[in-house]
Formats: sequence, C-alpha cells, structure tokens
Amino acid sequence: MDEKKGRRREWVKTAAIIFLSVMLVLTFFSNTIMNYSLPEVAGQNITSGTITSKVRGTGIVESGSLYNVKVTESRKVLSVEVRVGDMVAAGDVICYLAEGDSTELQAEKEKLTELQTAYEKAVDTYNQTLLSSGNLDILQSGGTSLPVTAYQQQVTGALAEVNAQQDVVNELNRQIAELQKKEDTVASAQAKVDSLADQLSVLEDVSSGNAYAEAKRKELTEAQLALANAMADTDGAKKAALEADLKAAQDLLEQKKAALATLQGSIGDIFELNAQYEAIGTAREALAAQNKKIAELEEKAAGGAVTADVAGTITAINVVAGEETSPDNPVAMIQPEGKGYTLSFSVTNQQAQKISVGDPGELVNSWWYSDVTATVASIKPDPSNPNTSKLVTFNLTGSLTAGQSLSLQVGQKSASYDNIVPNSAIREDNNGKFILVVETRNSPLGNRYYATRYDVEVLASDDTQSAISGALYGYEFVITTATKPVEAGQMVRLPD
Amino acid sequence: MRKILQRFRGKQLILICTGLFSCILGLTVNGVGMRMAGRLEDQKMAGRWSDDGDVSQISCFFSREAAMTENDLIGFEHELDAALEEASIVNDSENAQARLWADAYSAPGRISISSERATAEVSAIGVGGDFFLFHPMELLEGSYFSGSDLMQDHIVVDEDVAWQLFGSNDVDGQIVTIGGRPHIISGVIRREDGRMAKEAGLSASIAYVSYSTLDELGTNYGLNTYELVMPNPVSGYARTYVAEHIGVDENEVEVVENTTRYSLLSRLKLLAQFGTRSMNGRAIIYPYWENLARGYEDILTLLLVLTLLLLLYPAALFIVLLIRAWKHKTWTVAGVWLFIRDKLERQREKLWALQARRRSAKAAGKEKKEKEKQGKDKKEKQEKEKKEKSIRKDRNKAKKENEEENNEKVE
Repeated sequence: MDEKKGRRREWVKTAAIIFLSVMLVLTFFSNTIMNYSLPEVAGQNITSGTITSKVRGTGIVESGSLYNVKVTESRKVLSVEVRVGDMVAAGDVICYLAEGDSTELQAEKEKLTELQTAYEKAVDTYNQTLLSSGNLDILQSGGTSLPVTAYQQQVTGALAEVNAQQDVVNELNRQIAELQKKEDTVASAQAKVDSLADQLSVLEDVSSGNAYAEAKRKELTEAQLALANAMADTDGAKKAALEADLKAAQDLLEQKKAALATLQGSIGDIFELNAQYEAIGTAREALAAQNKKIAELEEKAAGGAVTADVAGTITAINVVAGEETSPDNPVAMIQPEGKGYTLSFSVTNQQAQKISVGDPGELVNSWWYSDVTATVASIKPDPSNPNTSKLVTFNLTGSLTAGQSLSLQVGQKSASYDNIVPNSAIREDNNGKFILVVETRNSPLGNRYYATRYDVEVLASDDTQSAISGALYGYEFVITTATKPVEAGQMVRLPD
Repeated sequence: MRKILQRFRGKQLILICTGLFSCILGLTVNGVGMRMAGRLEDQKMAGRWSDDGDVSQISCFFSREAAMTENDLIGFEHELDAALEEASIVNDSENAQARLWADAYSAPGRISISSERATAEVSAIGVGGDFFLFHPMELLEGSYFSGSDLMQDHIVVDEDVAWQLFGSNDVDGQIVTIGGRPHIISGVIRREDGRMAKEAGLSASIAYVSYSTLDELGTNYGLNTYELVMPNPVSGYARTYVAEHIGVDENEVEVVENTTRYSLLSRLKLLAQFGTRSMNGRAIIYPYWENLARGYEDILTLLLVLTLLLLLYPAALFIVLLIRAWKHKTWTVAGVWLFIRDKLERQREKLWALQARRRSAKAAGKEKKEKEKQGKDKKEKQEKEKKEKSIRKDRNKAKKENEEENNEKVE
C-alpha cells in the first residue's frame, strides 16, 4: 500500500516538474513568441519636400510642313532610289518611271482626236450653210468675208428711216387735230349766235325798247363777231390737203417698215453663219491647246525620273517598283530641313487642368533622345470626345522623324509641403483617409509598438508620394506595408 | 470529483468522455472553419470600411452578354448617391472628406508587357475605382494605384512578372511598355499560392492595370465584376438595392452579399442547396477571388456538416442520460421541494445570525464611542478649568504688582 502511495507521489512530482519546466520556457520566450504572432510592419518617417503632379501621354510625331512630291501622270514605277529617313538634296532622284505613254497622255491624245473631228465637222457645216444660202462670194473668199457689219449698218439705217417717217406721220396728225379743234370752235360760236338770235326775236315781239333786249342784242353782236373771227381761222381746203399728206406719209411708213423687216430677216442668216464661223475658231483654238498639252506631257514623259524639289528627309514613300503612280497621291513626302514637328495626345479634363500653354514637356525615355525639346502649343477640346477630353499639342524640335511614336510628360510647378508620406501609407474607410503611425510604449519586457490611427487630408499626390495635412509633428513613423492586415490600436512588430 | 465519478459506472463514464470529446472537437472544427473564412481578405471589406458593422459588401458578377461598360457603372454611382440621400442615409463622420460608399470594377484579359530586358505575355485584370481597397494583396514593394489617380498608367505586377521583366522584385518606379505606351510599375505583390489558389485562377503570372489600359492596349474579355461597400441600415437593404438598380437582366448577373456569405444561416442555406448549387444556366466567369470564396464555401459547408454531427452526438447523449436519470430517479418532487425549503430556511437562519451579529457589534461600538466621548469631555473640562485657573492667577499677580507700584508711588 505504501509502495503504491510512493509511486503516485513520484508521478505527481514528475508531472509538476514537467509543468513547471514548460511554464518556465514559455515565460522566458513569451516575448519572442508573442512578437512572432504580431504583424511585421515596414514604413518610413514623414518627410517634407515637393510634390509635382505629372501628366504623361504618347503620340505620333508629325511634320509641321511636309512637302509632297507628286507625279501628275499615272506611269509605272521602274525603281525607287531612296528610303524613308534618307536625307535628299534638291534635284536628287526619288524614283524612275518606265518609258511609254502614261494613261493621262493616252487620254489626252484621244481627246485631241475628238477635237479634230469636231473642228472638221464645224467647217463642213459652215460651208454647207454658205452653199445653201447662196453666199457663193463668201464661199469663194474662203468663208472669211462675212458682210455682218454692212448688214448691221443697213438695218440701223432702215430703222432710222422708219423712225423719221413715223415722226412725219405724227406731225401731220397733230396739225389735223388743231384744224379740227378750230372747226369745233366755229360750231359752238354759231350755236351761240343762233340761240341769242332766237331769244332776241322773242323779246322784240313782246316789247320794243326794252333794256334787257338791248343787252341781248349787244351780246348777239359780240357773238356774231366772234363767229366771224373763228370762221376766218378755219380753212377746209388746208385740212383736206393735210389729210391727203397724212395718208401718203402713212403709206411710206408702212413701206419702210416692210423694208426693215426684210433686212432683219436677212441679218439672222448672217448671224447664224457668223456663229458657225466662230465655232470653227473655238474648235481650232481647243485643238491647238490640246496639241500643246500633249507636247508638254510628251516632253515630261521623255525624262522618266522623279526628283526632289526641296532638300530634307524622306518621311514616307508611297510607291514601290512595279506599281503605277497616281496624280492624286504623292510619290514621296519630304520633311524640309529646318522645319518643326508637332505631337498631340488626348488627356482627361482633370489632367488638362494641370497643364498650361507654354509648359515645357519632358521625354519619358529622355536618355534615348538627347537634343529634343517640347513645349505645349495648344490645349483644345478633343474632337473625338469633346465633353471629357482635351487634345494637347506640343511643338517639338530636335532629331526626330515624322511618324515615330514619342512619350512626353508635362508637370505642374512643384509645390512644397511639410508632411509627405508614400502613397502606400494612405488608407481609407468610411471615416475618411488616414495613416497608421507606429507609437512606442515602454514595458518591463521591452518596447511595445502600437499602430495608431491619424486622420489626414490628402493635399496633393504624384506617382509615389502624397502630401497630407493632419495633427502631425512631421517626424512620425508611418506604416506602408505589413505582413498581415493591421488595425488601429493593434500591437505590431518592426523588422529585426 | 471522486464522488461524482463514483456515481457513474464504467460504460457511462466512457460515453460521457466521448460526448465531451465530440463536443470539443465539433467546436474546434467550427473554429477552424471560421478561421479559414477569416483569412479571405477579399470578403472582409465591410469590416475594414466600418467598425460599426452597419455596412455591407456586395459583389456583382456579369456574363459577357450583359455587355457592361464603365459608363453604365458611372450612371449607377450617381443613382446610388441620390438613393442614399433620399433614404436620409448621410455620413455622420467628423471628416468632411469621408465617403459613404466605395466601389471597384474589373475585367479579365491579356496584355504584353515589355521592359528593356524582356517581354512577357501575361494574364491581366483591368481595374477601376478602388480595386485595391477591396483586394489588399500583400505588397512586396511600392504601392497600389487607384481609379482616382491623376494618371492611369500605373501597373501592379506579381513577383513572377517582376522577375521575368527585370530579374528582381525591387522594381517599383520602373518603366515598362504596354502596346508601345510607357507605364510605371507602382507595386509588386505576392501571388497567393496553394492548390486552391491555383485552381481558382492564380496558376500563372498576373498583372493589374487600369481598365482603360486593358481596353485600349490589351485584349479585354469584358467587364465582369463590380464590387461595392455601402451602408446597410436594415438587413438585406444593400443587396436588394444593387440587384434592383444595377440595370442588368437577372439572368446575366449574380449578386452576392460577401459580408454574410459565411454566416451560419448562409451556410445552412448552402447545405439546403446541396446537389443544385453546381447547376449554372448563366455564362458567368468568376474572377479568382470569387472562385476561392466559393471553394471555401464548399469546405465550410462540409465542416458545418461535421460540426453538426459532432455536436449532435453529445446532445443526443445528454438527452439519453437525462431520460435514464429521470427513469431511475430516487427522488420525488415533494422531496425536492422540501429540500429546497430546508435549504432556504438554513440560508435565512444564517442571514439572521449574521444580522444579529452585526447589530450587537454595532451596539458595542456605540457604547465604546460614548465612553470615549465622555472621557474626552472630562479632559476638556479639566483643561478648561486649568486654563481659567492660570488666567486668574496671572490676573491676581498683575493686580498685586500694580498695587505695589502704587504704594511705591505714594511713598
């Protein structure tokens, strides 16, 4: 029984020793064990400095004033003598064209044939008209002595005669009208005399020696005198003579009008002949111009070489050997020496607010280009998206080639701030943006580190850093990354 | 303890032990499951956004036929602002810059990234909004980027891509080109490892670029995810609002409330969907984080079954033992009632005795105090008399001296 009790005591003793040993080890390493259960954080101290917001973009370099080398005819290209990027002097050959008529020359020759036919047709028509109208003398004179002016003078003369005769008729009519007027005056005076005589005869029958009758008699005497005067003015023979003259003048007028009409009919034929004659002249001139054009084209075709008119760099060649040239498309494009380049890219409205005209641009990969400079030339609404985007255009100088892709950055002027932290230190929840600062507290087992929340406002940001404002001293150690998610107030550990 | 153990027979003891073990194991399994779910940071945005638990994280997954665009989502954001204002949900934070809600969207695709050293053709996720608020991956170098940044030409790559392009992880700030346009590496992240992560879609190198970069310079497979954290004043408000206002036919979108997806109720619902959950009539491709979350949902459902079984056994055992104890009880209700009364009486007696003791002690204390008071008064009286005596003495003395002085003067 005692032996059993002794064994039990032994077991209890062993258990107690093991328990105490474990507790001792845990006590010694508790700090280390706890540390390893904490999230490890990395960070850096708040600094002061500058923040520069930069806007970047990529665009294609374009020539400010490209010179297009054009060939006005479609001809087969025999060989191209330059490549894109080659420097050429004025007069250097760009490509050779194959011998033979160009499409344009053939078309012009066909047109010449048509013009020739039209000319001959016009001459035939003219001659036939002369024959049919009996103008043989004109035909005999080669068709050139057309009496257009003489006909025109005759018509003018006839017209003047008609007008003069018309004037004569008008004058006779006027004179007859005057005589008629006088006759009317005699008739009215006679009527008045008759009336007064009737009245007087009645008065004399009633009473003689009446004063009223005396007055009437006097009035009658005056009326008879006026009648006698009026009758003296009228001349019936003269009126009859005038009427006979009028009739003769009217007959003559009709004759002259008829003559004028005849003349006018004749001159219509002459005018038609004249038009035909002028059409012959026009056709002859067109024929001559076409001959000249063909001569010029044949002269150009004879050369077969397309040359550069200005010195510069070849930026594009639009033909290859074997292809045909086209008058609409330039054979090659030359960037003239000393002329500038432009580059454009689209930015958002927010980005555009950071840029001003005249700002210098930097090349993103500036080590590739040593002598290139860029300046913002304009900021305009982007035609493809005018509501939300702006098109920024730069003026470029330096060793560039049109068509190459270039990335530029342009930034606001730097602003200084007291509190700057890395972008990764900025966190956010529904209470706004904040940073976690490591605060140290002393304890009997050494320093303890706690993550403490500081609410901040982000004033400005660039690609890597942000300027903040808040209740900060300016030297706090802010957490940027952690091995586990860190919450405000949580204990953390720093890297060894 | 020994007495209690002696009351049970050997078989009963074994059953009780197994019951206890099963109960502990069940709770442990449940705890392990919860811990697994707790590691999914992508699902915990609501917790990070507010400590008060009054917000909810909602995810929408679109099919390609939905043809969602950035403009559709901008329209939804404006509507959300108006709806919250209408529902009188305002930000009561002291910080005027604080936001009520945050959102993010993303699209899968592929891009070709070139450095001076090499070119890598990698899977890409084109992101917009505050994507990295929702997905706080472990940063090895640098920082994340955001949809509100001035420039959208930043790129976050995993360590594998960084190694392929530069042979180093310390590459933040380096310039790479995507489709001929320079981009800046803002951060390098650690890609999640493990069987689940690989199967979920993290088997190859991955880069995170802005949505505009993927759309313009890469191959965009279409915007397929929208995530939002917003106030949830009543249970289910946020999910219902998003489902009704996202503007996509319900056959082309799946709306998930991430905040409650691992709650007991949600897991029981999943259990009820056993056999039908895998059936899918929508052409929705989940992003890797949703695949992972769904994988863990399956695991947690399995663990829930195990937990239920492990807890069911001790519960059944307890009931059986209770019934057996009831059947073999050696006590009656009247006996129990008497026992309780007896106990109560004893307690009462104890209480009375205690009160009596306190009273007597109080009385004794009072007497002592009175005595002390009396002694004190006496002492004071004596001192007073002594003082008066000495004053009188002084006065007499002074009187005498005066008289002597007067006599001297008289003389």
